[in-house]
Amino acid sequence: MSLSVNQTKEGLESPYLPIPGVIERVTRVTEKERLFSIAPLNPSLLEYGPGQFYMVGLPGYGEAPISITSGPGEAKEFELCVRAAGNVTNALHRLKKGDFVWLRGPFGTSFPVDEMRSKDVVFIAGGIGVVPMRSLIKAVLKDRQGFGRLTLIYGSKSPEEMLFSEEFDEWRGKGLEVLLTIDKPDTKWTGNVGVVTTLIPKVEVAEGRTIAVVIGPPVMYRFVILSLRDKLIRPEDVFVSLERRMKCGVGKCGHCQINGCYVCQDGPVFRLSDLKDLPEAL
Amino acid sequence: MKNIDFFRYLPGGAKAESASGLKKLVNTLLKEYRVYGTVKRDGFPVYAEIADASELELFSTPTHLSAKQFLFPPRETLLRYDIRRHLHEAVIESERQAIIGLHPCDIHAIALMDEVWAFGRPDVNYLSRREKTLIVGADCMPDEYCFCKSLGTMDVNDGFDIFLHRIKKGFLVRTASKKGEEVIAGLKLREAKPSEVRELKERERLREASFKARLEAAAKDLPEIYAGSNESPVWERIGAICTGCGSCNTVCPTCYCFDIKDEVKANLSEGERVRVWDGCTLEDFAKVAGGHNFRKTRAERLRHRFNRKFRYLTDRFGMPFCVGCGRCSRACLVKINITEVTNELIRESNKRRA
Repeated sequence: MSLSVNQTKEGLESPYLPIPGVIERVTRVTEKERLFSIAPLNPSLLEYGPGQFYMVGLPGYGEAPISITSGPGEAKEFELCVRAAGNVTNALHRLKKGDFVWLRGPFGTSFPVDEMRSKDVVFIAGGIGVVPMRSLIKAVLKDRQGFGRLTLIYGSKSPEEMLFSEEFDEWRGKGLEVLLTIDKPDTKWTGNVGVVTTLIPKVEVAEGRTIAVVIGPPVMYRFVILSLRDKLIRPEDVFVSLERRMKCGVGKCGHCQINGCYVCQDGPVFRLSDLKDLPEAL
Repeated sequence: MKNIDFFRYLPGGAKAESASGLKKLVNTLLKEYRVYGTVKRDGFPVYAEIADASELELFSTPTHLSAKQFLFPPRETLLRYDIRRHLHEAVIESERQAIIGLHPCDIHAIALMDEVWAFGRPDVNYLSRREKTLIVGADCMPDEYCFCKSLGTMDVNDGFDIFLHRIKKGFLVRTASKKGEEVIAGLKLREAKPSEVRELKERERLREASFKARLEAAAKDLPEIYAGSNESPVWERIGAICTGCGSCNTVCPTCYCFDIKDEVKANLSEGERVRVWDGCTLEDFAKVAGGHNFRKTRAERLRHRFNRKFRYLTDRFGMPFCVGCGRCSRACLVKINITEVTNELIRESNKRRA
């Protein structure tokens, strides 16, 4: 048997060979989430857009798709905020500074920041959906003057589960209105209680010049989209990021399919109007 | 098989007995290739490795599993890693192989796989294996499940290296590649006589007239018919009886969904990342780590599989992704039949339009 290791045909590389990255910092975010700063050994991995993801692998455990949470073009490192939910992510939580992770990507589509310029933008995040949203918020705040009114509506189950709350003041200082809501308030909580849709009516929408971005758990989209329709935001002006199971990242393994499209290639960022013929999407 | 008149004659029957042409062919191939071919196991035609020419037997009905197993193996290594040494290596394994006994549907299926694996980021594992593969086709007779005639995959003019047509006393041989021509030239076969070619054409006519299963619409209309069938009651009905066993995915020559898993050796440092067959009709196929299943019901999963065959991949690649081999219908434990299901959707569609 002829066996070639690391030796591929002219110009062809195995799409499954990962690139190593070194963990520079691990920060506990909540009980379930950790923030990893990772320096990839190949700087081409730092060329990502907001909304893209990596396949993050640990030999012996496998790979999982993880959204990028840092802003694009920020540093020699990128950040991943990981919830311990499965095999790979639980193993990731045991890693510390100096450990290796193995990366493929970045994969998928990005949020069209340029299209949002000079418009008002409403960012609507539920739960862990704020993780990729943070990358977009950072990209937009980097050039705050280029955008109109900016609002973040962020809902989480409880105050303890709210991610990145220590950054909200900085975001507010840069001109982002931050509206928070909680499903189960504790005694200290003085803010809004209820699902994210309870806050949407409070946002002023200038018809035709407002863009909405929605990222959250599967159950959230339909309700939020109905509320946005009430606000007369057109489906062409709504962007969503959709989660699916993924194994390959290169449009082959079939797990991420929504009807005929592959979320790893055609998504995860979709324009709402492009989903009208994909009944499996929302 | 249109407008092809040049054949050579290979003597002998469907088994590679002593002094038969088939034995000569297999022995020639064994010198250069690992050879896989059709054999009978427990009464059923299957593919197996052929170490001796006498094991080979050609069948007129399809094998249980298709020949995709030799190009896209049920389990293959993609990477080898060593955790302590911080090492990952891509593994691309291929060897010269010859597969004997593929019917036209299976040859068409491989042509579809070629498109899929070359699309976007090329899959070097499949493509390097494919490049080293010699395909020897063999003709067939439809059983009650075969419906390739409805999908334009009944005949093949390319996609194989050598093709064997059965006649009463031996085979008529066609070649469609330089590799195939070289192998056949080495056998020094005589050209077929006009009477033998007439016999073959008669057999082809008989074959064409023998189909029992058929689709009640043209292949080109199927994507639109499926697009309009999302809410059809058919899905709930077959979903209610489907056992979610994944047999249809496994036996299908064009199903190529896979899972990727890590395996570790006992030293807990070295291991392999492997690709294994997966199936979209299995319960966990679209389930994410948080527990949400994006295709919870068997009805949704069956609808997805059927749409992949007749719409989703057709929209992407321009050809139906079902080749009409009938394997899924034959293998189904609860007799869900792909021709009958599609015909029901066709009739519903006709009613909607009327």
